[in-house]
Amino acid sequence: MTVGSKVKQTLANLKGIESTLRIYSIQGRNEDERRTFEEALQTTAKVISDLELRMKTLEYEEPQYKGF
Amino acid sequence: MPNWIMILLRSSILFFLTVLLIRILGKVSPSRMTPFKFVNYMVIAFIVALISTNIIINPILGFIALGVWTLYTIALDYLSIKSKWIHDLINGKETVLIKDGKVMEENLIQVRLTGEELLRELRSKNVFNLGDVEFAVMESTGEINVLLKSDRKPITAHDLQRKVDPKSEPQTVILDGNILDESLSNMGLNRNWLDTELQKMGVSLDNVFIGQVDSSGDLYVDLFDDTLQVPQPKVKELLYANLEKSQADLLSFALETEDRNLKSMFSKDADKLKKVMDKLKPYLLR
Repeated sequence: MTVGSKVKQTLANLKGIESTLRIYSIQGRNEDERRTFEEALQTTAKVISDLELRMKTLEYEEPQYKGF
Repeated sequence: MPNWIMILLRSSILFFLTVLLIRILGKVSPSRMTPFKFVNYMVIAFIVALISTNIIINPILGFIALGVWTLYTIALDYLSIKSKWIHDLINGKETVLIKDGKVMEENLIQVRLTGEELLRELRSKNVFNLGDVEFAVMESTGEINVLLKSDRKPITAHDLQRKVDPKSEPQTVILDGNILDESLSNMGLNRNWLDTELQKMGVSLDNVFIGQVDSSGDLYVDLFDDTLQVPQPKVKELLYANLEKSQADLLSFALETEDRNLKSMFSKDADKLKKVMDKLKPYLLR
């Protein structure tokens, strides 16, 4: 497994987490609960953008592994 | 008019009248009544029985008695809400039986309770050791309530200084295979959502006996067909596991890379995720 595909896998995983967090941040009935999920959502989004940036560099450096 | 018609008429009228009267008199259950309230209800019951079986021959007299007993009760109830003095006069005050872990013998005599009876009452509250009791009080209904010493109390999340998922009451959305629209809309959900959830589980609506939605919007179902295994909601546990996995991935990226900037970026991200996990833990794992 190349580094690129590993990063991609983690990225996909994190995106899944983000979407679930988003559902909970809307669905929660309690203000406190919603805020906690909202904060978690924002942190996850930051991590995702970091990884996406890394992904871009990786794809630039090793274009043979571009795409899936 | 023959006697039997008379009794039939009286009984039927009184039957419905009594249902109405008892409803008006309030919701106190017999076991939690003060002794006076109990007598009150008994008298009303006797008067009704006597009128209904034609022992009180003149029904008007009977109804007057009935009216007095119910109206006075309602009036006294109302007054005791308004005035503490009248409340204490009618219902009596609570009596302290154990204070600072010591039995108050004079108060025991005052409420005519023997030591054995006190112990029995404590046992029925699951307290077998008198030494565990800090404070016990006999309410005006005769019930005994117990406060345990603070180191004997069951432990709570507050004692552990741990945050827990603030759960509100679940809503029952399916009963006997019927969708309850009102509770669904209370949760801000609709039938479409329910259909999708049931489809995800692979269960048809008419097979569901009870379906409940908890405060975070997860559906729990009990089926008529008990041989079917239903997947119970595990979304939250899964989410936590995924977070853990991503965090571990980031850590391994940080270890693998040679680039210092990247190393610090990955380890910072891993730290961030770790913090998120700690924050979400009470909500996701219970």
